[in-house]
Amino acid sequence: MSAAREMLCDTARAVFADAQEGGIAPIETAGFGLLLVSEADGGFGGDWGDANAVLRIAGVAVPDLPVTDLILSGLAPVPDALRAAATVGLMAGAAGQALGLSIEHVNTRQQFGRPLGKFQAVQQSLAVLACEVAALDAAAAAMAARLDATGLDAEAADFEIAAAKLRANRAVGVVTAIAHQVHGAIGFTREYDLHRVTIPLMRWRSMHGSDAYWAERLGRQVAGLGGRGLWEALTARAE
Amino acid sequence: MQGFALYPFDPPGDSSALRTGLRRWLAEHQPQDDVVRRANCWASFDPDFSRALGAAGYIGMTLPARYGGGERHPLERYVVIEELLAAGAPVGAHWIADRQTGPLILRYGSEEQRERYLPGIARGETYACIGLSEPGAGSDLASVRTTARETAEGWRINGQKIWTTGAHLSHIMLALVRTEEGSERNAGLSQLLIDLDTPGITIRPIIDMAGHHDFNEIFFDDVLVPHAALVGERGQGWKQVTAELGLERSGPERYLSSHALFAALIDAAGPDPAPALAVLIGELAAEMWTLRQLSMSTAAKLAAGEDPMVEASVVKELGNAFEQEMPRRVQAVVECGWDDPDDLARLLRALLIASPSFSLRGGTREVIRGIIARGLGLR
Ligand SMILES: Cc1cc2nc3c(=O)[nH]c(=O)nc-3n(C[C@H](O)[C@H](O)[C@H](O)COP(=O)(O)OP(=O)(O)OC[C@H]3O[C@@H](n4cnc5c(N)ncnc54)[C@H](O)[C@@H]3O)c2cc1C
Repeated sequence: MSAAREMLCDTARAVFADAQEGGIAPIETAGFGLLLVSEADGGFGGDWGDANAVLRIAGVAVPDLPVTDLILSGLAPVPDALRAAATVGLMAGAAGQALGLSIEHVNTRQQFGRPLGKFQAVQQSLAVLACEVAALDAAAAAMAARLDATGLDAEAADFEIAAAKLRANRAVGVVTAIAHQVHGAIGFTREYDLHRVTIPLMRWRSMHGSDAYWAERLGRQVAGLGGRGLWEALTARAE
Repeated sequence: MQGFALYPFDPPGDSSALRTGLRRWLAEHQPQDDVVRRANCWASFDPDFSRALGAAGYIGMTLPARYGGGERHPLERYVVIEELLAAGAPVGAHWIADRQTGPLILRYGSEEQRERYLPGIARGETYACIGLSEPGAGSDLASVRTTARETAEGWRINGQKIWTTGAHLSHIMLALVRTEEGSERNAGLSQLLIDLDTPGITIRPIIDMAGHHDFNEIFFDDVLVPHAALVGERGQGWKQVTAELGLERSGPERYLSSHALFAALIDAAGPDPAPALAVLIGELAAEMWTLRQLSMSTAAKLAAGEDPMVEASVVKELGNAFEQEMPRRVQAVVECGWDDPDDLARLLRALLIASPSFSLRGGTREVIRGIIARGLGLR
């Protein structure tokens, strides 16, 4: 991560922590609405990679605040596909947090005289969860790269947005199921933080395009490319 | 491993020119194989094709020029192998030598071994097999029992390897053997580079459930190989094999083996597929695209000189799942008879039968998940 993005993330973490009490106001005041506005227009001049990094933090710290709308407000008009793209960033952050909480929990909670994480069945489940998080992160990063290469043109990045939102949606089922399973009853309480990421994940799965919506859309696009054409498009779009 | 560290895939030079050049070359030189041979094509042996590919400079790409290599960047090689796999080219003959044995010889081998083996590997003429598994050492590789005793004349090898892919078509085996008497588990192991025409070696076919002869069992009966057959450091075999497995697990073959089926499905669906079929194609495309990102990032990490064992395992786990699910899901959605003669039906049948092996070879699903769990700090 570049030093500038590192700083941006530090700011986001601090501001979003305040926003947990103060609502969206501190986030507005800190200027996150200008993140994607060019420097010439008095904005921060960030790219989608920056937005993605900030949204990952928002997905954990302030999943219920309209940070996506705020960040996208710098662009006009905003196609719904960009809202889907932004949601992927939130989802990547929340899924990563679900993994982190799960690892911490199985390392501390003891049963049968050992931490749960020492049981192979638990290890194998968490490996599956980690793979989903890795897939989601990779999809979000590749989508960001395409958006930045096309100057945030959602139409030119249609394949990547569809694929990334679909992949993120599909990760939700596995991530929430395994994270809750390894937590046991404590993860089902209001007091414990797991639901702060799993309920938003469930919600984001249905927002800005369900699995079926994006799958059918992407499927039609790929059908139009043909079998060989898919490979040619995949490689050409990333080069 | 909090968050998969993503490495940008940034090959030097003009990779789209590299791609186009190879596509043009393939259009001229790729044999008109049956579509079923194009699936899982890293198991398709075609020495003529391998030689032609070697002559064109597409094998041993990363090796130094003095050994016949192309001195190209590992990510340029990645571009080439993903193109070959996506095209379904018959790369099986040289696959293992190019992917892991050559690089291992370069890294750990003696000057004599490099000069002796690498030029043939780069020409697409010298083929290698992987001698790890034994009847008593599958997932538990550290229980290898094949022994090599050092004598005045050289190493005397006794024991048995099994499941050795392509041994009957290979010239050399890079074998993991126990060189230290009385040693246990992963201590006391070494790697030997064995010429397979050495007296005392018996190679017997094992026919797989598809009816193919791909893997073998190999018996070593007092086989004498020179002292110079030792690769790298005596007793360091475990460490070297771990590096070898990193090369074995990280490549695009972990998600492109079934690509011929996906392409056939898309072509059979036509430009205006029924909704259920469009959904299936979309889901498979999203997964494939994601896997490609993970695989490229892993290759970039490896190319940066870092150890991508955990990332490679993530690619293998998700890639295996993708490739095993694909034929099952196609079967569930597409109406086609088990014995139908068309390409889609034959590919489907071939991959349904081949796919159980995907999560066995190169490390079982459970072993791979164990490696990921270790990366998470759970073991
Ligand atoms: C097509 C194919 C090609 C191959 N090619 C080669 C080759 O070229 N060279 C070579 O050396 N080998 C090769 N192999 C062998 C392969 O590496 C082994 O099959 C693999 O390591 C598993 O060993 P095994 O078959 O003895 O299964 P086992 O180790 O007996 O395992 C059987 C099952 O039990 C599970 N299991 C075992 N131990 C544990 C544990 N501790 N915890 C949880 N689950 C466990 C395994 O995951 C697996 O699901 C090939 C295999 C196949 C199928």
